[in-house]
Amino acid sequence: MMQVVLDALRAPEPAIMVLAPLIGAALTASMPGPRAAWLAATLSALVAAAAAILGANSLAKGETATGVAAFAAPLIACCAAAVVVASGALLKDFSDRAAPFALALILVMSGSWSAALHADRWIGVFLAVETASVACVGVVALSAAQDRGALNGALRLFGMSGAAAGLFLLGAGLIWWGTGAATLHGLSLAAIRAPTLTLLGVSFVLISVSLRAALAPMHGWAGAVFSRGGHAAVLAVAAINCVGALAVVLHLGAHILPAPALGAGASTLLGVLGAISVVVGSVQSIGAKNLRRLGAYAATAQAGCVLLGAALGSIAGYAAALVQLVAYAGAVVALQCAAAGAPGARANAMETMDGFGRRSPLAGAAVAAAALSFMGAPLTAGFLGRWQLMEAGIGGGAGWVAAAGVGASLAGVFYGGRLIERLYFRRASATARPAGISRVLLAPALIFGMAATAIGVAPEALLRAAAHAASGLGGPAP
Amino acid sequence: MNAEIALMGALGAPIAQALLVMLAPKPPGLRDLVHMGLAAVSAVCAILLVGAAASGLDARIVIARPLPNIDLAFSVEPIGALAAALIASVGFLHAVHTGGMVRASNMQNPTHLMALTALANAGAIGVALSSNLLSMFVAYELLIMAAFPMVMFGRGEDARAAGRRFLAPLLTASVGLLLPAIVWTNAIAGPGDFQAGGVLAGRIDAPTANILLALFAIGLAGAATPPLHVWINAAADAPHSAVSSLFAISLAPAGCVGVLKVAVFVFGPALADARAAAFALIALLGVGMCAAALGALAAQDVRRRLAYSCVVQAQAVVIGALLASPAGVFAAVLQLVALTCAAATLTMAAGTVAAVTERRSVDEVAGLGRLMPWTFASFALAAASMIGLPPFAGAWAKLWLITAAAGAGMVWAAVLVGAAAILTFMHLGPLAARALVEKSSANAFRAPDGASFLLVAPVFLGAVATLWLLVLADPIASFLSPLWRSPQ
Repeated sequence: MMQVVLDALRAPEPAIMVLAPLIGAALTASMPGPRAAWLAATLSALVAAAAAILGANSLAKGETATGVAAFAAPLIACCAAAVVVASGALLKDFSDRAAPFALALILVMSGSWSAALHADRWIGVFLAVETASVACVGVVALSAAQDRGALNGALRLFGMSGAAAGLFLLGAGLIWWGTGAATLHGLSLAAIRAPTLTLLGVSFVLISVSLRAALAPMHGWAGAVFSRGGHAAVLAVAAINCVGALAVVLHLGAHILPAPALGAGASTLLGVLGAISVVVGSVQSIGAKNLRRLGAYAATAQAGCVLLGAALGSIAGYAAALVQLVAYAGAVVALQCAAAGAPGARANAMETMDGFGRRSPLAGAAVAAAALSFMGAPLTAGFLGRWQLMEAGIGGGAGWVAAAGVGASLAGVFYGGRLIERLYFRRASATARPAGISRVLLAPALIFGMAATAIGVAPEALLRAAAHAASGLGGPAP
Repeated sequence: MNAEIALMGALGAPIAQALLVMLAPKPPGLRDLVHMGLAAVSAVCAILLVGAAASGLDARIVIARPLPNIDLAFSVEPIGALAAALIASVGFLHAVHTGGMVRASNMQNPTHLMALTALANAGAIGVALSSNLLSMFVAYELLIMAAFPMVMFGRGEDARAAGRRFLAPLLTASVGLLLPAIVWTNAIAGPGDFQAGGVLAGRIDAPTANILLALFAIGLAGAATPPLHVWINAAADAPHSAVSSLFAISLAPAGCVGVLKVAVFVFGPALADARAAAFALIALLGVGMCAAALGALAAQDVRRRLAYSCVVQAQAVVIGALLASPAGVFAAVLQLVALTCAAATLTMAAGTVAAVTERRSVDEVAGLGRLMPWTFASFALAAASMIGLPPFAGAWAKLWLITAAAGAGMVWAAVLVGAAAILTFMHLGPLAARALVEKSSANAFRAPDGASFLLVAPVFLGAVATLWLLVLADPIASFLSPLWRSPQ
């Protein structure tokens, strides 16, 4: 029986990772109450995550197709599972009537980003990305039950996503006009009639998707969404939307960079976006006075490192970018889950972390693991990613990439160190409530926090998977 | 005992020490016994490693493989084994002394401080026994992270600011300079362990060698190489036990050992290609030594004066390491031995005085030598060693250092070392002399029974250790000789 289930999960893993959340979303939305909806959502997210783990295992063994999609889709599914499970403790962010829809939209987001990774036609990528974006706006808007300020964030995200959608369509049109290719695979093989226009189209598409990943300077929506949105919405945006968008940028880049007429230009664009994100995100994180804004801007800086790896255009660079993506996802989920459980977290102030490591040692450990990973401290996933990035940069003769990676780590020392200082070296104010954190919130925080550390200690499987996935630069090879 | 087991014991005992002390803070007697007992285990294991290294035994333990083809591994080689034995042995004396300090000063919540000093020792021993650059970096980061709360321990409102002033330069240096240097070295030489003769020898051009040397030397800011030596200001006001640990046992010695290992096992003969950087660094260090000695002279707080004095000695170790000659390496190792023994003695003696008399300023200790003869006799011996007076450890180290500097054609460096020794005499000599010669004031002791055995014995043993080099210099030269006899 077990074997049959495993075979059923193994055979069409990508399809399960796309369809299970979407079917689960339909089921969840039809549930009568928040609890039943959460159970249905959790079940479908866990099915997708199980398929993802099997897929990741096959990838690490080199048994499946190469390519970013094979690597990133399982990551998105796992993040989505964590978000959905954690949402069980955050349902009060939504009204009872809205909660099933919010959970359904979280699942739609996950399925759509996975679909975007597996789509072969530009139009398919566009539809999937826009579906995910609309779902993201919806989740943020639904969280306005507790704080009307979330609507402001949702509106800002909606406006910027709308502009990005137009940019994507324009870009896709230019690419089609310049190459005649409607598929991603065709790009590297096509005879490009108008290289400049095609490059412009490619740039529009990359910028459009980068906006959803909160990459600077297009992250104007992030401050409002992260500081005013509900915890569940923020968690979903950070762990699914931003991770998914980053993965799609990498996926598109993997098809664009090998094209002779486009590679250099696209690489420059990714490098510039990455460097700006590192600088702007780092500066904003250091200056952040609000915990969730700090998380958002720190994520922007880390996302910049992902893009810098991709900008190298080499297999080593892409492998580094994928490792960075995992480190990014692990740290973001651990930080946002644990921070959501801190007493007084709705106040969002940095003071909620004062003495949190003593009041709630496990949740504090998850936040510390995330902060250490952001810093690139040794024996964490962040260190592994940063090392891979620097090695690829130096090996590829791009010392500036290594320097930017070092800069991101140095900034991480300041904002990550500030978090750790508050966790363990400050006392909570006399009025602070005891830190009783829900288990459904603590579990994902701990799992991702431990993963961020375990990967740093024993990274062979991840490195194998990243190298295998990156070896398919230009598209999956069987 | 098997060398691998000794290696695990030397590294693992301080970590177990920290954990057990934290897990069983009461009763205090048992806690202190565990603290001292495991420090003794670490010291015995580390001393056994010296024997293993002298016998040419290979011992290597792998903890993990956190990067492709690079292990988190620790192994035995002469410099590392000697440094580990030194750190662990003085660490044991410090553990005993901390037990005395806790009782004499009624320290609040001393468990954390004990655990942190043990972790810092583990980090320092890890740096000494590291098998490759990654392992050294990991151990060094552990050391910094353990040292950071030590600096803030038991201080008032200024603790957090002091902690930041301590941590910022150290982490900036290690993440911003040391880590890129390590990655760059791996990119050039490939992943691999340290090797006598240098992993970079014959593989780098002069500009790269110069940049790498500067990154390594300044990146290992624990050795107090300017300009990122500013952490010493924040650390100098830490509690006495923390000052002893940071300046004499863990952070400063670990920084020095790190630079030594980089010079010998990473650069080797390639250090000659980095002549410009070495020249500039030695000049910076020489001026830094004199500035630190002047700072010590200006300081009226005994603890602060001793902290600056320790920095002078640590910078001398780095100068020796950068001289790119066997004589320089030998001088650096002797200086490291002298630094650790004398600095630990001085800082522990100052702690003893502060704990039992609550006297902390230079003027207040005058005449206390008559009331605390053992403590101040030890203080005087250690001060003589720091100054470089024969026949104490520091004298041979300084002699070799000046000889090596002159031999390398850097007479000016020898002059700077000599000037720093004179300034050291000026800030330590009168202090020791006034304590021993002047008349004592009445009611010096806060506690009626004066200093306990736990406070005096480690100080005395540390002072005796400064005499060891009188007989050990030659065996140490033989012990280290494989390093410069290795095939280039």
